[in-house]
Order: sequence, then C-alpha cells, then structure tokens
Amino acid sequence: MDIKTVTVIGANGTMGCNVSGIFASFGNCKVYMVCRDIISAEAAAIKATKSVKAEAIKVNLIPKSYCDLEECITDSDLIFESVAENLEIKKDVYLKILEFIKPNTIISTGTSGLSINELSECFPIELRSQYVGIHMYNPPYNMSLCEVIPSRVTNETMLNELKLYLKDILNRKVVEVKDAPAFLGNRIGFYFINEALRYADLYKDNGGVDYIDAILGPFTGRSMAPLVTSDFVGLDVHKAIVDNLYYNSKDYARSSFEMPDFATNLIKDNKLGRKSGIGLYKIERQVDGKKSIYVYDVLSDNYRPKEDYVFTFAKNMVRELRIGNYNNAFAVLLNNHSIEAQICTEFLIKYVLYGITAAKEIGESVHSCDDVMASGFDWAPPLSVIEAFGGVYEFKKLAYKHLGNQLEGSFDLNILLEDIPSSNYDYRPFFKAK
Amino acid sequence: MKKVYVLGGAQTDFGRNWSKEGKGIIALLKEVIDDGLKNIGVTYNDIKNLNKEGRIACFVGNFIGEYFVDQGHLGALLTEVNDAFYGVPSARYEAACASGSVALDAGITKIRAGDYDLVLVIGWELMKTVDSKTCGDFLGRAAFYESEAKNIDFPFPKLFGRLADETVKKYNFDNKQYLDCLAKISVKNYNNAKRNPNAQTKKWFMNEEQARERGTATNPTIGGMLGTSDCSQVTDGAAFVALSSEKIIIEFDKVKERCPIVKGWGHRVAPMKFEEKMKESVNNEYIIPWTRQAVMDAYRRANMTVDDIDFFETHDCFTSSEFAAISAFGITEPGKELEAIQSDLTSFNGAKPVNPSGGLIGCGHPVGASGVRMFLDLYKQLTRRALGYQLETANNGMMLNIGGSATTNYTFIVGKDK
Repeated sequence: MDIKTVTVIGANGTMGCNVSGIFASFGNCKVYMVCRDIISAEAAAIKATKSVKAEAIKVNLIPKSYCDLEECITDSDLIFESVAENLEIKKDVYLKILEFIKPNTIISTGTSGLSINELSECFPIELRSQYVGIHMYNPPYNMSLCEVIPSRVTNETMLNELKLYLKDILNRKVVEVKDAPAFLGNRIGFYFINEALRYADLYKDNGGVDYIDAILGPFTGRSMAPLVTSDFVGLDVHKAIVDNLYYNSKDYARSSFEMPDFATNLIKDNKLGRKSGIGLYKIERQVDGKKSIYVYDVLSDNYRPKEDYVFTFAKNMVRELRIGNYNNAFAVLLNNHSIEAQICTEFLIKYVLYGITAAKEIGESVHSCDDVMASGFDWAPPLSVIEAFGGVYEFKKLAYKHLGNQLEGSFDLNILLEDIPSSNYDYRPFFKAK
Repeated sequence: MKKVYVLGGAQTDFGRNWSKEGKGIIALLKEVIDDGLKNIGVTYNDIKNLNKEGRIACFVGNFIGEYFVDQGHLGALLTEVNDAFYGVPSARYEAACASGSVALDAGITKIRAGDYDLVLVIGWELMKTVDSKTCGDFLGRAAFYESEAKNIDFPFPKLFGRLADETVKKYNFDNKQYLDCLAKISVKNYNNAKRNPNAQTKKWFMNEEQARERGTATNPTIGGMLGTSDCSQVTDGAAFVALSSEKIIIEFDKVKERCPIVKGWGHRVAPMKFEEKMKESVNNEYIIPWTRQAVMDAYRRANMTVDDIDFFETHDCFTSSEFAAISAFGITEPGKELEAIQSDLTSFNGAKPVNPSGGLIGCGHPVGASGVRMFLDLYKQLTRRALGYQLETANNGMMLNIGGSATTNYTFIVGKDK
C-alpha cells in the first residue's frame, strides 16, 4: 500500500497531533494538519515533531485550516478524522469533505468508542467500503497499539493492505477488533480501572482511593497504579469510556462499568484529574519546591494527605521482585490471608478472565487480549498472568477458590479456559519492584 | 588444541530500564542465566555435577559496576544468583567496552587448553542508575581519565568526534559526503534494530534527514561534528553465552553440526591516548592500525579472508567507529568506505551486512555486555535463530569489539564446523 499524502482533521487534539507525527515520520507521508484556524495548526505541527523527537519531519507537516479542506482531501490517499467524540460533529465534518474524496482514498476515524458501522453510514454506499477505524493509544510513540476496526462493508483487500502498512511501515502493533463499544484495549483496561474505582467506594472506610491503589501498585504488573492512571487520563474521558460500555455491552461484567457517584460528582465539580490540577489526587508544590500529594477521601468528601500504606504482602512481593524471585513473589501474594492480598489476587484473576472473555468476543484470537494490554497499556498481559500464577491448571484452581460464588451465572470457567495457549509475552518486565 | 563449540545463550531486552523496574544486578543476572541455561538445555543441577568434577567455570565481563551499582567482586557475585555456583571458578574480566570479549577470550582459552568442558560467559552493565552526564563521566575511565576525560562533559563522543575529524583529514574526504555516510550508517542500524525484538531502539524513529540535520534540538551535536544520532545510547542489559568442549556435545546429546565453532580471534592494544594513536597512524594506510591488525590476526588464525565472511557485528559505539571498521574488516580498501556505504554493501540485504542486529546504535550498548551480545548474535545467525533479523546466508561471521577509543581491539570469527 502506497500512502503518500494524509489529511488529519482535528490535528490540534492530542491524538490528531500525535498521529500526524506517526504518519509524517515512520510513513514519510505529507500530512495536512487541518485545524479550526491556521495558528493552532502551526502550533500542532511543532508539537507533532516533538512527539516523535525528530525535527526533520517538519517538512512533511503542512498546517491547514478548514478553508483548505478541498485542496487537502482531493490530494489525499488517506484521511484520518480526529475531531470531538460526538456523532453530530463527525457527521458535519464528513458532509464537508464528501464531494472531494477520490475513489480509493481510505477514510479513517480515530474514534475511541463510537460505532464504526454507524459512522460509515454517513457516507454514500460507494464510499462506505473505504471507511475504517484506526484507534491508536496515547502517546503513540511509546504505546504502539493500533486497533483496526472494519465496518460490515469495509473492503477486505484494502483492510488487509492497510493492516500490513500500519504494521510494517508505521511500526504499529496491529490488532483487528470487531465494532464493539470501546473496542478491546480500553474495554479490558477500564474494566480493571473502574472496578478499582468501585472498590475505592466499597472500601472507603479503609482509605478508599489511595488504599486501593496501594493494593494494585506497579508490583501487580503495571507502571502506574490504576486510579493514578484514571487521574492521568481524566475522569471525564474515563466516564465516557465506561458509560459507553455500561449502556452498550451485554456481557457478565456490565455492572463493573457503572461509575460510582463520588467520581461523577468530582466530574461535575470539574475535578477531572491531572489536566485540571485536581481529581482523585491533587499535587501541591510547597515553597521549598517539594511536592505534597493529596488524595480525595471518599468517606469525608475531602482531600487529605496521601497515606503510605504498608501491607506486609506488598512489601514482601517487592522485596522478592527486586532480586528477580518472581515465583517467590507470587507465592507471597497467594499465601497471604490479609484482606488486601485477597483483593489483589481477585483483581488479577478477574482481569485475566475478562481479558479472555473480551478477546474471544471481539479480538482476532485469545492472544489479542495480551497484545492490547502489553502495547496499549504496558500492563502484564492476561495470558502471561496465568503463567505467573503457575499455568492454566493452577490458575483455574485459584479462580474457583477466590471467585467460586461470583462465577455462578457468569460463565463456565472450564469452557472459558479450554485450550488457552501460552502467552507470547514474558511477564517479568511488567511486574515492577515497587 | 581442542575445538571450542558455541552452545548458545540469551540476552535481556535492551529496551528495559531496570532502575525504573526497581530491580538490580541480581534480578538481571538471574534472568539472563535462567534464560540462557534453558536455551542450551543445561540445568543448575548439571552445573553442580560438572563442578564436582571441576569441569565448569564462569567468566564475567563488566566494565565499571563499582561506579554504576556500587559493586565489585563480580565473579563471586554469581553465588548470589544460585547456590549451584558455590565452588565454581568465576572471575570478572575488564577491558572497558571490550570487557565481554576479554571474558569470552579467557573462557575460549580454557576450553582450548582442555582445562574445563563447559564455560559460561556473562557480560552485563546497568547504566541507567545515573543521569546521562554522570554516565558519560563514568565511561571516561575507559580513556586516559586524567588528561582525556576529567572535567569534560561527554568525553567519548568528543573522542570519536575527533576520529571523524581525523578520518576526513587523512583520506581527504568531502566533509558533507562523509557526514551523510555516517547518517546512512545510523539509519541502517536503527532500521535493522526494528527487526530485533531485543533492541533498545525498536520503537524509535530515525531517517536520513533527521540523522543529517545535526545541531538541532532533537539531534544536538555532542562531540565535534557528531550528533546524538551518531551515538549509541545509555543501556541496561546482560548477555550470556555458553562454550563447550566436544565432550559436552556428546554428554548433553547435542547435534554437533548445529553447534558453531570458534575459528579465529585477535586481540591488540593500541596506545591508550587518542593523540598517540593518531601520531602512530600517520604513516599507515589505516586510521586505526591496531584494529586492522586484530582483524588480520583472526583471519590468519582461521585461515580465512574477508571473502569467507558472510556478515559482521561491529562496535558502532559511534558511526565514526563503524565507518573505520569497514576497511579494517577488509570489506573495502581504506579510504573507500564511502562507496561501500553509498552502494548499500553493508546494509541488511547487501553482500557484506554489518550489524544486522542493529549494532550498538540500534540494539543498545550496555558496555560490559556488548562483546557477549555480538558473539551471541553470530551464533544466532549461524544457527538460524535470529528470527526477524535472520540473514539468508550465514556460514561464517566476524565480530569486532573495542574498548576505549579503539584501544583494546577484539575480534572473533565464529562459523559452521564443516
């Protein structure tokens, strides 16, 4: 597939800007960065060069405004729409570009949740087969995951060539997923994150937000604790993803996507997280430059200094991980009877089970859950967690032991774990000694 | 003299930052040794049994653990990895960035002499424990610190920047043409690294325009004419290689034809100071004559010429060192390197591929590990285990590992036993 010219519409948004950088660098494409006004397009072009650490790609980045759409679209081999996540706004943009699209130009959207089938219907029948979802993760330079979502009528030859292009030329980890709410990576990731948020509510007497984060810290197979991640992403974005899943997904985990009231209230107060300076956490700089971290206390509806919880199981796991004794670290977790160790174990088991469930439903294969979590979240991939716990047989025993009652009515564990292949990933780098 | 067989080994993913993972030397060593033993089909129990008969030894390559991780006595440190190493002869070998090779050389010698039957060579360095400026200062100990590195920011890029200057002068190159060739070397190695799952830069972007535009915010000049795109990066990592006598091949039921052998080696030490090196090379057609000599020694011992070598792994700590290596290997005459690069002779699909792994610039350069990593890559190519970066033809491969400013020069030729 020869893609020489790309138009990115909404190029001043975080993803529009970063994706422009990816096409202009790895793809060596001429990229029209279309924004509402030329000044923000120029600023976005500078940001895009920084996102791939290469000033040389600047010659490939051409700032444009909506007035230039005709020129850009007629010249493009691929269009990447990256405007606000709103059906009406997207429809409006599509109407503006319709008449200029050449036959064979690929029309793509970076939507992270809207239905690709529904969006494709904005186009006349003869263009629909060229429409496809290309969902990258932020920041794409570090997170190589690229979910590709065809509609019911996407041209199969084009789809296969596009996947090869994204993989071989743009250096992406490509996973084709079905047109389902939030697609695959966010569905599994926000299942875990929202469960953590719900547990923060459930265990508000024990400390809530920072208590749950201390139980699910980097030593459990991620770089960042889950609620720190939510704060980083933004509670509003988090809500958009889980609401979509709550209203539109039908599997056993649906209730896990219900956002607790305290978080919804934070959003109402514009306490969205890192971007608004306050959310689940709040960082204050003292006069001497030192940072003080505060956390939202669910019980008192107030911010208080973040607690440094010392759980014996966590401390001992970190000690073992530091010297590379992975088996000992997992044994520490499984042999500890504290409520915190139980919560941690249950979270990891539920993460694996849901990852497999979602991958079987909308992924290419069971391995898809590993690919999306490793390359989109930098989390220990679900199948690799099974290996960390001693393989499928041991994992199954563990799941029965910990989730026995909860499993009833959800799914048959034997069927779910039948013929589960070994992971293609090494779990060791993901479990941090901290 | 006995034949020395290469059984295989392992390397860690050079993209990892072990400090960020909160892990230290023991975790690093455990991982690479566990993986290496698994790959060669030897257990810790086998090590205990061989040790009872005094048939096994370990050779550790590391440059400067005392600075990076506050630890010396690195041969003995293996006893912290597993109690199978209790009583096993083990010591640390050091020759700056050629530490891995000097450990390999010691191990190879012991097998050739018939002293041991199985030798485990482990090269490692954890460098991301400090910021890049401090790292540069620590590495300055590979030069003559007092006069070449003390109170100088990033001394090594400056020394290899001088090598670039001297190369242009000696062969009367057009400066721009030379620098564009260095940019091509950098891009080749970045591109090769994309195929290597253990490479540090597998997700990074580099193209010729970016590599040519030195002195910009994203490619600042760091040593003379050289930009950061001309440099290998600060890397954490370890590599493991197992060498054996024929006895082990039989005892462990290995297929002899699938175990390559060490065919030749060279080890030459040039004057420590860069200035002295240049003085000495004035009347020599090679810019770094002792590097060339180390190559010639290996050819002589293997009874081979450059025509017999299908691919090379070289020490591209900087693009200027890979440039000089091209003629040192004999791929071209000295002064003709530009043509080799421009015609893609040394590219992945060229007739004489150099650094199919990505080399130090692409794969990464944990200094004490690099020699062992190169040697392992020779093994992988020869046994068709290089996966995504497997070359079509690989019967004999050569490596060049250098310490300091081309001070310690080590070469090995490894090939199929015919």
